[in-house]
Formats: sequence, structure tokens, C-alpha cells
Amino acid sequence: MPAFPATECADCGELYGFPVVACRDCGCESFETRELDGSGIVYARTTIRVPGADHQGQEPFEVCVVDLADDIRITARVLDNPELGPDDSVQFVEARDGVFFFEAA
Amino acid sequence: MRNVSIVGMGTTEFGVLDAGVKDLGVRAVSRALRSCDVNRADVDALYLGNFVAGILEGQENIAPLVADSVGLTGIPTMKTEGACASSGIALRQAYQAVATGVHDVVVVAGVESMTNAETTEFTRALNSAADTQTEGKTGLTFPGFYGLWLDRYMHEHGATREEVAAIPVKNRANGATNPRARFRDPIAIDDVVESRLVADPLRLYDCCPAADGGAALVITASDRAREFTDTPLSVLGSGHASGRSGAYRYEDLTTLDATVTAANDAYAQAGISPTDLDVVELHDCFSAAEIGDSEDLGLFEKGEGARAAAEGVTAVDGDVPINPSGGLLSKGHPVGATGIGQVYEACLQLLGEHENQVDGAELALTHNLGGSGAVCTVTVLGRDA
Repeated sequence: MPAFPATECADCGELYGFPVVACRDCGCESFETRELDGSGIVYARTTIRVPGADHQGQEPFEVCVVDLADDIRITARVLDNPELGPDDSVQFVEARDGVFFFEAA
Repeated sequence: MRNVSIVGMGTTEFGVLDAGVKDLGVRAVSRALRSCDVNRADVDALYLGNFVAGILEGQENIAPLVADSVGLTGIPTMKTEGACASSGIALRQAYQAVATGVHDVVVVAGVESMTNAETTEFTRALNSAADTQTEGKTGLTFPGFYGLWLDRYMHEHGATREEVAAIPVKNRANGATNPRARFRDPIAIDDVVESRLVADPLRLYDCCPAADGGAALVITASDRAREFTDTPLSVLGSGHASGRSGAYRYEDLTTLDATVTAANDAYAQAGISPTDLDVVELHDCFSAAEIGDSEDLGLFEKGEGARAAAEGVTAVDGDVPINPSGGLLSKGHPVGATGIGQVYEACLQLLGEHENQVDGAELALTHNLGGSGAVCTVTVLGRDA
């Protein structure tokens, strides 16, 4: 199972799902990757049927807010499963072009 | 701090107007100036809210261009931008300038021209209000943000699709009698729940239409207000807060805390509580947004907003009238003009001149929200003492 590449502040240890350039808590600009268990829980889901300019032709596709270990919450894509909803389990698949992809667990 | 009054106002209708931002801004400001006894020489500054003219028209620097075109050459001007709250911010800045004595008379405007744009350019422009580094890359749109919101809300609070649909039905009924609205035909619950899905569970009729439009106010220190009009209105409270930069940043996605903060500041300044309000114009860019806004503003307990609409509580003749103008769902959403457009509608209510008049309205609130709840302004308005 792929691990999720969280971003950890090198100074205070604050964890982030998305990469950041400065720690929100302490202002440190140095970070390390910390691998989290890639299993998550869906917090909310939508299916995009009218996409923006950069995602034309991909519709329909699912976007979810996902909760990971250590209170990390991210907005991510879920692969081909419009039935998923709040409290369902998902598994991290890969990060591609700055987007995290999950699938049903 | 000085008390601040609104002494003039002007607007275009909101709709498909086939005009650019400068022309719409000029119309709105000219109409506001003509609505009161203000001379151009009295005006100290102009603040103008706009969001996407730079992207869609290649037209920036709009505030001085509008000022020059309405005969206000020479005064200080500035454009404010905060996505859909752009002109709410303009009012806030203008209010502060007058309240602190920096200026005595300020014109504040909001303007947007959207319907001439190609769909791909239009969506690219609107999506620029989201964090493009995080959620933008996922393909999340603004209907998608409120689709996530509504998915979580229905899961937590058990609201039904039909209850949610009561909001566009109500607002479209109100818009039918508002000559400033883009959509003036009523719809039924079935129309909403059978319309095509846009961002599940949001459907087409849950979403506001784009529009072109401009709206403007003339504001001044209250002790000078009657130089310019016999019917000034008071700005009793003004709140302005920033919030979260994306859906993932909320611990509770169904509470957009910028609204809570801005509203609490405005209530405290006005010395009122939500139950004192007679009429509310809030930011119903989507049916889901009206539910959340009404709860975040303290008008209903968490989880009760959809049910209140379904039970008629928020109708023009209900206990808590919300969006008697028809809201964004009927008027349309010319994003940079929306905040001042809401104030225009609220002022008509306080003057007793609205097409959907709330009987005896003396205290009104307007609520203007931008991005993923990233920025909010709240204004409390009353009849002048």
C-alpha cells in the first residue's frame, strides 16, 4: 500500500498534507517528507460534471475531502467511484502533478 | 469614529447587458450621483470593486477610468478585489475612510461584465478565486466546493434534497417581480430536483447565473447627510473578515467562519442581535450557500436553515425574510457588483420602496462572500435617526 507523503516542519514538527513554503505555526522554511499510512476516510464528496477550463474532457470525475492519519485533511481526487460518500474508506494511490489520487479501500 | 450614512444609490439591471465594465461602472456611478443633491466637487474619493475584468476584458485600472468618465477626474480612486466580495470590500474601505474622517463624501461602486466571455475563459476566470496550487489542480470548481459542502451538510443534518430545493424556488419567485433580476420566471421543486447534475448533489437550478451589472452608492458622514438627501440611511455595523483557503482547511466545512466573524463584528458594532433584523440579503451563489449563510449569520440553529426555507420562514412575509430581491439565484451574480447590489436592494427595503417589500423593515443586513469562504463582508443598515 503506498504511503502518503506528508510535509513535516523541520523545526516544530507541524504536519501538512499539501506542500507549504513556510510553517503556519513557527515560520520555519525547512521541511522534510514524512510518510503516513495512506488509508483515509471520506469527509465529503462531489462529482464534477461541468469542469473548469483545465479539466475539459475529464468529466465526470470525483473530488473528495479526505481525512488521513495525524489529523491531516486534504482535497483530492477519487478514481471512478461516484458512490463513495462521507465515512467511506479510501486508499492513497499516487500523487501526480500536485494532485493526490485515492481509490475505494 | 463618525457615523456614516448612505445618501445616494444607483444600479443597472443585472442580466445580459452587452456592455463592458467601464460603461457599466459609469452608468451605476452616474445614476448614484444623480439620485441625490451631491455636486461632483463634493466627492472626495471613489472606491470600486471588480474581480475579473483584467482576465476577461484585459481591462484593469478601472477605478480612475470610471472616475474620469463621470466627471470625477482628480480625486483619489482605488479598485478592491476579493473575488465575489470585491464590492463589499469597497464599501468597507469607503466606510472606514468616512468614519475615520479621512474623507467626507465617497462614491463606492461594484461592477462586472461576464456574459460576453467564452465559457472556458469564464470558468478559468472564476476558478482563479480558488487556491490554484491546491484545489485548483484537483479540478474542484465553485459549484464543486458547494457540492462538497452540501454532501457533508446532508450527511450531518439530514436535510432532504426537496428542502434544499425550496431555496431556489423561493428566490426565483421573488425574482419574478424584481425588474433588476436576470431570471424572472418562477420554478417548482420538481424543476430543481429534476434539473441536470452539475456538482453532486448540486443541480443546475441550485446554481446562480452569471450576469453583467453595476451598482453604486454615495456615502457621507451622518452629520452632513441631509445636505444631500431627505432620506439618508445609516450604516450601523460593518464587518470584514478573511477565512479558509480551501475545503480541506475547514475542521467543519458546513461553517464558513469568515461569515461568523464578520457578522459578529457587525452585530457588535450595531448593538443588535440577529433576531432584531427585519430583512436579509445574503450571498446565495448556490442553494447550499443560502442554507449555510443563514446559519453562520445566526439566523437559525445549525442544521435548521434548509428546513426553515421549506417551511416558509424565509419568505417575504415570513418571520425571517431572506433575499426578497430574488438573491443571486434570480438577479444573477456579476461578481464584482454583487455586494453593492445587495446593499441597493436592502436600501429600497428600508425606504419602503421595494417591489417585494417587507412590511415595516427598519433594520437590514447584507452579506457578501468571496472564494471558498476566503473573504466576507457583512453590513448592518438602518433608517437614519
